[in-house]
Amino acid sequence: MVGAAEEAQLNRLENQVDNGGGGDWEYLCLVRKLKVRRSDKVLKHGLSILNDPKRRSKLGGEVWTLYEQVAVAAMDCQRIDVAKDCVKVLRKQFTESLRVGELEAMLLEAKGSWEDAEKAYSNLLEDNPLDQVIHKRRVAMAKAQGNISVAIEWLNNYLETFMADHDAWRELAEIYVSLQMYKQAAFCYEELILCQPTVPLYHLAYADVLYTLGGLENLQAAKKYYASTIDLTGGKNTRALYGICLCSVAIGQLAKGRGKEDKEGSELQSLAATALEKDYKKRASNKLPLLTATLRNLKLQSS
Amino acid sequence: MAEDLVLDTAIRDWVLIPLSVVMVLIGILRYFVSKLMRTSQSPDAKIIKEGQIVIRARNLRAAANFIPLKSFRARKTYFSNEEDGLLHVPQGQAQNPQAQMLSDPNMAMDMMKKNLSMIIPQTLTFAWVNFFFSGFVAAKIPFPLTQRFRSMLQNGIDLSTVDVSYVSSRSWYFLNLFGLRGLFSLILGEENATDDTQRMMQMSGFGFDPSKSLSAEKDSLDIVQHEWVLPKFEKRAEAVLRKLLH
Repeated sequence: MVGAAEEAQLNRLENQVDNGGGGDWEYLCLVRKLKVRRSDKVLKHGLSILNDPKRRSKLGGEVWTLYEQVAVAAMDCQRIDVAKDCVKVLRKQFTESLRVGELEAMLLEAKGSWEDAEKAYSNLLEDNPLDQVIHKRRVAMAKAQGNISVAIEWLNNYLETFMADHDAWRELAEIYVSLQMYKQAAFCYEELILCQPTVPLYHLAYADVLYTLGGLENLQAAKKYYASTIDLTGGKNTRALYGICLCSVAIGQLAKGRGKEDKEGSELQSLAATALEKDYKKRASNKLPLLTATLRNLKLQSS
Repeated sequence: MAEDLVLDTAIRDWVLIPLSVVMVLIGILRYFVSKLMRTSQSPDAKIIKEGQIVIRARNLRAAANFIPLKSFRARKTYFSNEEDGLLHVPQGQAQNPQAQMLSDPNMAMDMMKKNLSMIIPQTLTFAWVNFFFSGFVAAKIPFPLTQRFRSMLQNGIDLSTVDVSYVSSRSWYFLNLFGLRGLFSLILGEENATDDTQRMMQMSGFGFDPSKSLSAEKDSLDIVQHEWVLPKFEKRAEAVLRKLLH
């Protein structure tokens, strides 16, 4: 994840580079380091360095990294011709390299020739059955083709071995949510919370899944996770505030249906509603009537 | 009587300096030779998996209180189940390093290569020093030392009357052998320094057993008490919101 300070620096550099202020190599290095996706810029500035023999030779050994970066960016922008040239140069330099093999397979993938790419990846995997990048590319490929079930299968295979890779868990969770397989998604989000217990987004997503699953127990848990999201974000997450309101209403309805009084008569929901109102007043006052109407429907309006 | 011993400048020019230079050169040579012989070790799937299991179990232990009890129980069983839990190492299947080495000739080969690149030049230089420079008093250190240092500094001279601050040529060789690490890390880069002492430690520590870390992790997972912290968060969220509103 990219921190605020790093992003500010990145944007500053990008601005500078776009206006011809130099520093494009630093910009490319930063993009690579932060792993952000700014393919169009990378392609434009990287290519201008690569097309200038003087600057190219000044980079020394770093030039090959730049070739790789530009190749991937070019694939992302569908400039297959540029990517092809870059990969060709790299292949000439590193005849036996696995990394270039990956790039070649990615090139096939970018062209849309799935079968060839699949074949290439399988070949690469035979030599290095433990290469994480290749495993992930295969998942991405299955997803790109729309074979969600295959993607899930690959991901599960991958997680069998690399079970501490939280990015893979996150991907799997999102896929499960998209397929409405909420129980499985909940498991993945639990895994993510275990991995990074202080990231509010995982709490929020887990709460969403629990709320969607429904049932008194899940709703109560969902409310708690919305509460923890509020705690972790300092009450700035609108979705969590709404979540609290909706959960309280749903819990209230369920409890009433069973003839039990809601013992947890906490004032959390009214607080959340008030916080929402305050937030809307400050940032989107024209939408305020909409909110009050909604809250009135939920019978949660304060005052 | 220490003042009586005058060291010939020829000893400095033909023993002390050549010895040091040769030691440095050999160290560099050895670095490049071992770099040539090093094979890139392809990691074993099982070892990687075990490492990942340990990381995941550790995460579970550290953040157990953030997930509901039911989820925690399910995971705990998954990890430390007596029959087929991930952390459970069946009795007797725990590979001991010797057996592992026998089953994997590459491992033994690798170790041998490492040792060869270390031992051969050392024996050769030691023989060379012994042959040409035995019995020289090669240097004098500028401060007095106690008798204890005699065996360290005057290896090869069996005279108890020589002051301890004189260093024999063979001892000079040993001092160089173990003391040049700082210089190597300057020349060859920080992590590339050929460090004999460290390498010896590695050898004695060789045979680290991953199954041990598995069972250790299992033990600590077994004693984790689950106490869901989320209920507390509702109160905390209330406090946060109240603060926000006022």
